[in-house]
Amino acid sequence: MADEAADPLRARLEKYVGRSMGPPSLAPDPVNVPMIRHWVDALDDRNPVYLDEELAATTRFGGIVAPPAMLQTWGMPRPKIEGIAERGGAPNEMRFDNPISALDEAGYVGTLATNSELEFVRYLRPGDHLHLSSELESISNRKTTALGKGYFVTWGTTYRTTAGEVVGRQLFRILKFDPSTIDLTRLKAPR
Amino acid sequence: MTTGSPKPSQITVGDELPPFDLNVTSTVIVAGAIASRDFMPAHHDPAFARAQGAPDMFMNILTTNGYVARYVSDWAGPEAMLKSIRIRLGAPAVPGKPLRFSGRVAAKSEEGNECVLELAVRAANDLGDHAAGTVTLSLPLG
Repeated sequence: MADEAADPLRARLEKYVGRSMGPPSLAPDPVNVPMIRHWVDALDDRNPVYLDEELAATTRFGGIVAPPAMLQTWGMPRPKIEGIAERGGAPNEMRFDNPISALDEAGYVGTLATNSELEFVRYLRPGDHLHLSSELESISNRKTTALGKGYFVTWGTTYRTTAGEVVGRQLFRILKFDPSTIDLTRLKAPR
Repeated sequence: MTTGSPKPSQITVGDELPPFDLNVTSTVIVAGAIASRDFMPAHHDPAFARAQGAPDMFMNILTTNGYVARYVSDWAGPEAMLKSIRIRLGAPAVPGKPLRFSGRVAAKSEEGNECVLELAVRAANDLGDHAAGTVTLSLPLG
C-alpha cells in the first residue's frame, strides 16, 4: 500500500536490512539445571531427559539435556524492571542503533510476535554457554493491520557455544505497531 | 509418557496425535513468561496488554513454543529429538480460554539410523488458531 517514497520512515529503516541487530551477546548464564527445573515446573513438562539423570543416561542423549524450546530463553537479556512499561516492554535501553529502537522512537512502540522458526542443531547440555548474533532480514512497508499501522520486522539469530559450535538458529518476525492508530472496529485476532 | 510412545515402525502418515487441552490461566501465562525470562508487561499486566489492543494479558511466544515442544514429545517419548519448530502466531492465548493442541503426522522418512517425522501441529482457542505450524523430529530406528 504505502510506497517507500511516501514513507520517509521506511526509507530511513532500509539501512538496517542485512545488518547486525546489535552487538553479539553472551547469554547471562550457561545452560543450567535450576533454570531447566524452573521451566519444567512452569510448563509441567515431565519429559525425564530434562531432569532425571539416571533415565537420561539410558537414552541417546546420554545425560540431562535442556528442553529444546528453551533455546531463546538462554539468550534473554537481564531486564531492567524499572521503566519497562514505558519502554514498551524492551528489557533494557538499547544503545545500539537498531531498527526496533528507531520504530519505538517513531511511535511504533507496540510489539506482537507473528512468526517463529526454531531450528535445533543439537540439544544443549548443562555447561554449554551460548553466544548470540542477530541479523535483520527484512522490514515490510507500512501495513494497516487489526492493531493499527505498523511494520513487520524479521531477523535471524544464530546461537553458538563459546567454542564457536552452531547449536541452533531462530527466525523471528514481529509486528511493530502504533497503538494510537488501532481501529477498534476492526479489532480481532491479529494476523 | 515413556510407556505408550510409538515405535517408528508403528507410525504412519496421517496418524493423529491425541489432543491435549491446556487450561490457560493467568498463572500459566505468568509462570511461562518468567521461566522463559520474558518480562514484557503484556505477559503479566492486563491493563498494559489492553492498552496495546489485546483482549487481556497473553502468552508469550517462548511459552507457546515450549508447550508445542511438550505436546509432541509427550507423544513421541524421551528418545525424540526435535529438529525444528516453525509456527505462525494468530489469536492470543488469554486467561479463561483453553487451548486445544492437535497434531497429525504429515511426513515420514528415514535418514541414516533415524526416523524423521514432520508433524502438522496447531493450538487453537475459541478466537481461532493461536499457533499453527510444523514440528520436525527424529526417533532412533531399532
